[in-house]
Amino acid sequence: MIQYKWKSSPFKSLQESISTDPYLIINIFFAGVILLILAYSGFFSPEKNDYPIICMHEKLTGEPCVSCGLSHSFSLIVRGRIDEAYQWNIYGMRVFLFFVLQLILRAMFSIFYLRYTDTRQQLIITDCIGSGLVFLIAFWPFIANIISGIFTASP
Amino acid sequence: MEEVTNKTGQNLGIAALITAIITFVLAVIPCVGLIAIIPGIIAIVLASVGLSQAARNDAPRGVLIAGLIIAIIASLISISQVFVAGKIAQKADKWPNEIQNIINDVQDNVIRELEDANISIKVESDGETVEINTSTNKKDRENKLEDLEEDNTKKDDTIQMEK
Repeated sequence: MIQYKWKSSPFKSLQESISTDPYLIINIFFAGVILLILAYSGFFSPEKNDYPIICMHEKLTGEPCVSCGLSHSFSLIVRGRIDEAYQWNIYGMRVFLFFVLQLILRAMFSIFYLRYTDTRQQLIITDCIGSGLVFLIAFWPFIANIISGIFTASP
Repeated sequence: MEEVTNKTGQNLGIAALITAIITFVLAVIPCVGLIAIIPGIIAIVLASVGLSQAARNDAPRGVLIAGLIIAIIASLISISQVFVAGKIAQKADKWPNEIQNIINDVQDNVIRELEDANISIKVESDGETVEINTSTNKKDRENKLEDLEEDNTKKDDTIQMEK
């Protein structure tokens, strides 16, 4: 009896690795989250000012925080009104760029991960360090605000 | 031969890591940092359950440990945000009370000083100086008030008839 061994198609193997590999699942999930953030920025209009996210910090303390106006700023950046975006939140642009860069990185790293199977470990380490550094640069004003808040608030 | 790896707790690890990273990003933003504690706890629970499952079946735990560490750090950042906001709110509550106390003190001082007031008015115009000094204490003012009241009652007694 002759046995036929079907070679798995490249599309099927890709589908299999996407559904089983944790790194790829995480990348796809984060890409989806970033796309949702961009959709949120595009959906809510800065003129109507009907953003569902309210500042908990301002509600509690009565003072605006360093991240107030971030949603407004994102919406304005998506619409190309950069000058107005800076007026709403001075750090809006760098945080927005972080998300855009992460979306590109997720796609890039996923392609490299699938193409270069021998260097997967190094790729993940590079991704972790690179993304961590980009995160620190983008969110540094907020992190510095937390650190200064802890030191000034402590008795 | 293909190596078969035990994937117990793997899905929980992925879920925990994703939740932990999202919590980390949220925790750093002050506007939503206070509520980041909720996904932080969820991530810790997911990672802990996954770790216990993986330990029982001797499965790889890299993703689970990464998720747990990031979730703990994110939760600590969120707690620190709560702490900072709480302190600011406490200070904000104190300020109106302090201002109220200062106003009350000033009012008391003014009233106390006015009880025995010495008023001196000096007007200078074209080289001429006019100085008016008046000294009054509480009793004098009470007497004057009584006199005025008497005058008013006398005036009220008279009935003016209109033609």
